[in-house]
Amino acid sequence: MNSKDKILVIGAGIAGMEASLLLANAGRSVLLVEKLSLTGGNTIKNEDSFPNLECSTCMIAPIQQDILQNPNIEVMTLSTVKKVEGEAGNFNVTIDKKARYVSLVDCIGCGMCYEPCPVTLKNEWEENLSEKKAIYVPCEGSLPNVPAIDPEHCLQLNGKKSCNACVEACMFGAIDLSEKDEEVQVDVGAVIVATGFDMFDAGKISNLGYGKFPGVYTSMEFERLFASNGPTSGELVLRGGGESPRSIAIIHCVGRKELGYCSGVCCMDSFKYSHFLKNKLPDAKVYNIYSDICLPNKTYQIFYNKIKGEGGGFIFQSSPEDIEIKESSGKLGVNLTDRNGAAESLDVDMVILACAIVPGKESENLAESLGIELDGKGFFLTRKEDVGTVETSKAGIFVVGCAEGPKDIQNSVIQAEAAVGKAILIGEINGK
Amino acid sequence: MESKKTSSKIGVYICECGPNIADNIDIDTIIARLPSLEEYQNKELVVKRYKLLCSNEGKEFLENEIRENEFTHLVVAACSPRDHDTTFINVCKKTQLNPYLYKMVNIREQCAWIIPDKEKATEKAIRYIRAATSRVLKQSELIEKQLDIDPGVLVIGGGISGIETALSLAGKERKVYLVEKSSELGGKMNMFKELLPRQNGNRDIIEKKIEEVKKNESITIFLETELESAVGFLGNFEISLKNIKNNQPGAEFTVGAIVAATGFRLTDTGKLAQYKYSKESEVYTSLEIENMIKRDGKIVLKSGKEPESVGLIHCVGREEKGYCSQICCNYMLKFISFLQQQSDSIKIKDFYRDMCLPHKEDQGFFEEVKNKGADFIRISDVKIKGTHVEYTPIGKDKKEVDVDMVILAPAMEPEKGTEELAELFNVPLSETNFFQEEHQQLNPVETSIEGIFIVGACHGPAGISESMLQAQAASGKISTRLIPGKKIVPEVKVSEIMEDFCMGCRTCMDICSYGAITFDGELSVCVVNEAICRGCGNCAGSCPSGAIRAKHFTSAQIYQEIIEAIR
Amino acid sequence: MKPEGKDNFTPKIVGYLCNWCTYAAADMAGSSKLEIAPELTVIKVMCSSRIDFNMVLTTFFNGADGILIGGCHPGDCHYDKGNYYTRRRFALFKDIMKILKLDPERLQLSWISASEGNRYAEVVNSFTEKIKKLGPNPLNGNPYF
Repeated sequence: MNSKDKILVIGAGIAGMEASLLLANAGRSVLLVEKLSLTGGNTIKNEDSFPNLECSTCMIAPIQQDILQNPNIEVMTLSTVKKVEGEAGNFNVTIDKKARYVSLVDCIGCGMCYEPCPVTLKNEWEENLSEKKAIYVPCEGSLPNVPAIDPEHCLQLNGKKSCNACVEACMFGAIDLSEKDEEVQVDVGAVIVATGFDMFDAGKISNLGYGKFPGVYTSMEFERLFASNGPTSGELVLRGGGESPRSIAIIHCVGRKELGYCSGVCCMDSFKYSHFLKNKLPDAKVYNIYSDICLPNKTYQIFYNKIKGEGGGFIFQSSPEDIEIKESSGKLGVNLTDRNGAAESLDVDMVILACAIVPGKESENLAESLGIELDGKGFFLTRKEDVGTVETSKAGIFVVGCAEGPKDIQNSVIQAEAAVGKAILIGEINGK
Repeated sequence: MESKKTSSKIGVYICECGPNIADNIDIDTIIARLPSLEEYQNKELVVKRYKLLCSNEGKEFLENEIRENEFTHLVVAACSPRDHDTTFINVCKKTQLNPYLYKMVNIREQCAWIIPDKEKATEKAIRYIRAATSRVLKQSELIEKQLDIDPGVLVIGGGISGIETALSLAGKERKVYLVEKSSELGGKMNMFKELLPRQNGNRDIIEKKIEEVKKNESITIFLETELESAVGFLGNFEISLKNIKNNQPGAEFTVGAIVAATGFRLTDTGKLAQYKYSKESEVYTSLEIENMIKRDGKIVLKSGKEPESVGLIHCVGREEKGYCSQICCNYMLKFISFLQQQSDSIKIKDFYRDMCLPHKEDQGFFEEVKNKGADFIRISDVKIKGTHVEYTPIGKDKKEVDVDMVILAPAMEPEKGTEELAELFNVPLSETNFFQEEHQQLNPVETSIEGIFIVGACHGPAGISESMLQAQAASGKISTRLIPGKKIVPEVKVSEIMEDFCMGCRTCMDICSYGAITFDGELSVCVVNEAICRGCGNCAGSCPSGAIRAKHFTSAQIYQEIIEAIR
Repeated sequence: MKPEGKDNFTPKIVGYLCNWCTYAAADMAGSSKLEIAPELTVIKVMCSSRIDFNMVLTTFFNGADGILIGGCHPGDCHYDKGNYYTRRRFALFKDIMKILKLDPERLQLSWISASEGNRYAEVVNSFTEKIKKLGPNPLNGNPYF
């Protein structure tokens, strides 16, 4: 295959995977680069996705399997793009490929190496709600189902102590602690940027008490808490205490004012949580504290109406950043201003902060490497001359999904498909 | 090779999976016991173990074994087929053994890893292997078919979505047929002058694109035309058009895919009691304002005078329709911004329920407009009598105000004829009467009929940017499936209907989500179109006369598994 | 042959699992190394809607003591709405079982998604327990042939 027919996709979340698979099935060769040790992006963290509450694993796992088994796709995990030179049809890409220390070919995913590992760490992928070993898969069902070793904490690799426990436990000779980070050079014809998003740091709004009171959760923490393959196997128990919450306040729009945009998905996520809670804890009181209800899809209001029917309390609050959360005798007090401007206080056991979507941390560096622009908010910018496009200011480089701005899965996939079309049809129309 | 494969010879290969299977299942017992079982007395059976079949050496070993032993059937007892089915299918393909004569048994996830008692785990593994071996003998070779395709595309609707689709796809090797019911291209965008600030510099986007379409030699335009019939499947749809004006049959041709881009209309505000207005009053719908800006370059009253105060009402018909139209807040802000530029002293009262600003640039625009002095009032209820507005601010008492002009943002609904088109295609509409996606998240611009796509406002309320992206997305999907000069390979594990048993009740036809079943009136039987069927087997499950075979999941095959499972 | 008294009775249970959700959940349970009752034999189908009267009756007539049908949660079907048809047919299967004087409890339909490995284990274990309590299938072969 000619190198310029090869397409680089950065990010193995829903948008990147969809783009890769479509291209591969059209016979194109794809290099899919993912910074983490697993595919699936943020979508795979959700137990169910709105509005149909379809199980995310059921939805995504077949795609992840396809990606890993498709002969036209090379998946490079623990890798980031460092440099891109050249132009459309002829890019030279330099990739930083971190050592995994476990062979993707030889490892069969039996998990025998975890127990002997003497190092226990917080599991960041699980929002620090559980622990992992220095050799780990982020969660049950990770794909590829092959662990990676954290070189900063592995005793042998960080040089603190001589340790060979995992190597000895592995019956397949799949672990190689002498593996080195690599710099890989690849020639590709086009680049699709699908690096996704991060979540707004709720700690920035100090009056919401995140990080201060254990009962205050971010939306991503709640997703994992609820996930049946998550830290509590889906049991809704509060941090530390081990008890289920009896009253929960979900605060919408956390970070919206600071960031200057609405993320367009948090209302639906919040309603989903509301539904989860009502389903699992039927006697629990659930409050949705909102300012604007944003339902940008033909089916979202149907979901909203259903949630309202389930009896969650809906409280209007014009500015969520003014909410003050306090703790007294084990309860969280949510102090807000009600519709008439009078102060109101809710006593709850749990607060879920529906945090805004923010640009991925690595966006700035990546934009520089790619030679494309970011907008004022830090998301990738599409070609200014166009009304609706996935093209960037540089020909042959496309941006899709939340890397371009906050959006739901549907719109991420639409952009992925659009980028695939651009990559393929440009050649076709020019009569290649 | 002189020996012809006349009788069956089955290979059963058990993977040790390192210690994972070997430690928890007594593989030697299986190897010793299997050949003595009654069902293998008249058959040739080879049972072997290997340390790791999915490794490169393992695959080579298996390949050689298949070749040397000339197996007619193969069973691999190892991990979950979700991990390595493809691996062993590829081994089969390399050795010319039809992959449908092979079966994988999951003795790791379903035996070794979940049953601590080794004896019990071994018993269960034997049960599984026996079931698979019996089944595999009932399996039949399935051969992939290659179908020729026509890379051409029919686009229905000459608005921005249809035009963008046509321009994205038309090329040297791909013809596009663009059908428009009215006498000109451009659709609703012909009524627009101003776009949103984030779409700046593109006021003439539609004119430019219409020019491009007209110039493009690969695009054939049919005006005042509609679709009469479309029969077929991805790669091969027979199309007949109809001339609307004289009601005469139009062109006939073949395409590989169809894109519906039939757009929207505004909901009839006359039907909503609280917004009743007459043409004589100073109450306007959003499209009337767009048109006014385009025609007059300004927003004026019937007298020609500029209004001094304007009330804008969002969400008109939202509750009644049951969905948010998602673009109204934005264009209302656009009108306010226009009015603010038109007159410094303009008094704006904007009555909204929720500000829906789902694009990253939207809130900035909102704040800009708000800071220029527009009064945004969040309401729980609103009613108009002409330009007299009665409203209830959220949590407060009812108020009223008189303005010079009222602008309504009526909900978008699918254009007239959407339902008929859905019926013609045999695709479902969503609860909200727009077309329904095959999968809302994973396949958002295709319908349940493969090869029929939906883009723009017929898909759901959408602005210009969203519509164009959807058009490009549909083009993207089409470009990966209909590659000029290449054939397509449909799924082979599909259903087939045995004519002799079918009584023509059409139960299967009603339940098929993909429209893969048609009725043959002459023979009075149902027929499966194998190019469309996806092989779920629902029809086989529904057939009251057992006339449907779900290939690779036939009753006979499953029966063998049942017998062994409960032996 | 083991004597089929209720006390040391080893039931024969067939689990019809859909390829996309419940089969994947079984894998997740397996890779989590959860302990699961060995009596259930899994038969994979692409969609739970493939399961017809014949399969259910054949399974019982041949001596199965219980059948577990596992499919995607409503709304999750890989084939749009196959599992809704499964649900409808399931109600009819139960009616037929009553006619055959088979305890309808011997047939169970559970929606188990791919990430619900724990639930899969729980469902299989509790269903196996239930069948053990119900004892052997009284039909003891096909009563009509």
